[in-house]
Amino acid sequence: MKYLEHINQLIKIKVSEADNLVIFGQNVSAGSCLSGLTRNLKVKENSMIINTPNCENTLCGIGFGLMLNKVSSIFFMKQQDFLLLGIDHLVNTYNFIRRENPSASFTIMFIVVDQGYQGLQSSLNNLGDFCSIARIPGFAITNKVDADEIIGAHLISPGFRMIGISQRLFNEELSDLPLIHCNEDKTLFQYFEGKDATIVCFNLSFSYGLELHQQLKDKNLNASLFSVNAVTPIKWEEIIRDVKQTKKIVVIDDSKSMNLSCDNFLAHTLDECELKSKIIIKRELLEDWLWPNSDKLNLDYAEIINKLKQTTHQNEP
Amino acid sequence: MDSHINTPAFSLFNVEYNLLIAEELLRLRLSQMIINEKIKNKEFKIPIHLALGHEAIAFSVEASMEPADQLVLPHRNLHYNLAREKSLKPIVEEFLLKETGLAKSQLGSMNLANKEKGIVYTSSILGNNLSVATGLALGKKVRKENGIVLVVLGDGAMEEGSLYENLVFLRSNQLPSLVIIENNQWSLATKIEERRCGIDLKKFADSLGIKFEKLVGNDPYQYFSRLKELKEYSMSNNLPVCIEVELATLGYWHVNTEGYAPPGRFINYHAGAAPTVNLLEWPLIEESTDDPLFVLKKYFDENQLRKISAKVLLSLQEELL
Repeated sequence: MKYLEHINQLIKIKVSEADNLVIFGQNVSAGSCLSGLTRNLKVKENSMIINTPNCENTLCGIGFGLMLNKVSSIFFMKQQDFLLLGIDHLVNTYNFIRRENPSASFTIMFIVVDQGYQGLQSSLNNLGDFCSIARIPGFAITNKVDADEIIGAHLISPGFRMIGISQRLFNEELSDLPLIHCNEDKTLFQYFEGKDATIVCFNLSFSYGLELHQQLKDKNLNASLFSVNAVTPIKWEEIIRDVKQTKKIVVIDDSKSMNLSCDNFLAHTLDECELKSKIIIKRELLEDWLWPNSDKLNLDYAEIINKLKQTTHQNEP
Repeated sequence: MDSHINTPAFSLFNVEYNLLIAEELLRLRLSQMIINEKIKNKEFKIPIHLALGHEAIAFSVEASMEPADQLVLPHRNLHYNLAREKSLKPIVEEFLLKETGLAKSQLGSMNLANKEKGIVYTSSILGNNLSVATGLALGKKVRKENGIVLVVLGDGAMEEGSLYENLVFLRSNQLPSLVIIENNQWSLATKIEERRCGIDLKKFADSLGIKFEKLVGNDPYQYFSRLKELKEYSMSNNLPVCIEVELATLGYWHVNTEGYAPPGRFINYHAGAAPTVNLLEWPLIEESTDDPLFVLKKYFDENQLRKISAKVLLSLQEELL
């Protein structure tokens, strides 16, 4: 099954089981239903689905108002960029509501436009920026495993959070992945364990890390693979314990922000671990970064593998 | 005149109730004057926006509310909080950031809410509270709950796009609600004509199919009576109502300090102390209908009002001991 179809299936199941739920947003049950994200949603009689006017700021506030009256809701949004209009509520209204640990759920789920063909006003690709402004729980869905875990635990549960999905991955076929570890908050996932390197992926970069893991395996190198699905604050112990074993890290962060989640991790890791190799892959934003383009992160897999092999061989007796 | 008020509302109530209404207006005024003295004495660290002159609408909103109703307020909210809480001490203690304060010192002044008394949300951000009120109204619809949401904003907030967005949403989803705009003409230090073109709220509301009403004159008896009717209209038709209240925020002064500004320059009261307002047994500030206490003189002998006022002041002072 494809990435977007799988997420849609998970949402359908969750919302069909909920009582007094309001699903709202522009075109959530019309047209393509946000490219298929909200297609064929069915809710109980005591719930409702509203195709709303175009008023993102108001829609954010409505979710919090519903929360105050103990009604859970999900605001589906076509693009993360549109959420900029609602920042007042994400910060100021949420700060009022969060004091009393509300029993209702409010989730804003949006598509992160992490391919650049939609141009310069659709180039905001960092979920973490939104989360950090008011320490809002946020989750990036990057594969089948984290989709199951995050939607299962967080789509409808007390409190407020944001869930971002990748437009770049919409039509990717999902493969089964092993899950070695997932923390209680569903913010940190470990998929593989290996002694030759630790790969840590941030924002929506998991697919790059998975590809690197596969190519390393083809060269008889076993790497641990982690994905960080939420921004800080997060406890890094699980990853740091692994890095202390491998002494080699590859950090991948596909965000265009100046405020990268991986920087917090690196600060802790460099402080606590003696490293033989560190490869940090961030975006190099050239003069054309706002022009329409694929927005893919350019990874030279062969060069990364070579670097890791060199340090691996240095370790051998 | 857009006002539809022509009911001789005073005669609708009995004598005792009319007196209670007068007493309540005096309590709202004197409570604010006591707080004003404390601001002058620099007893508070937080910013406080007095609402001297707003007592008639605050009383009327409070009196028209049923237990299932919910009130959503802006940063200038003291008059509504005093009206709903019926007590001065917890509010003063909140402003002093004491644990015994109304919100246990968590909210201060500009976000002061009181869930137990139906004030469920208060925002210091202009226009922010409208969409939360809309969400509350939608929540009532989903849960099939009784009651109505009343949201208050000022003429500054009505310039925000939020008013447009929310009236459209409220009307589109048939959500009963009262959107009450306190129009004191000022936003910080600029009058409406200094900052923008005119906004014809009636035409605006009409264009959306929303009932509009303008309340003028600070008559608590008429306001109360009319608000009750508008609430009934809103609930029975599942429609929002937009209400503009013409009022003045009293406590302005004229500069007389050389070097600060041209002497004689008018300064509109916005926040903090109202330096020219002093706590007196008879707390009338203005001899015009801009002052709701002046309006009371239409119905009562001034000596009678002065006696009530002295009694109320004594009671408030004892409360704070």
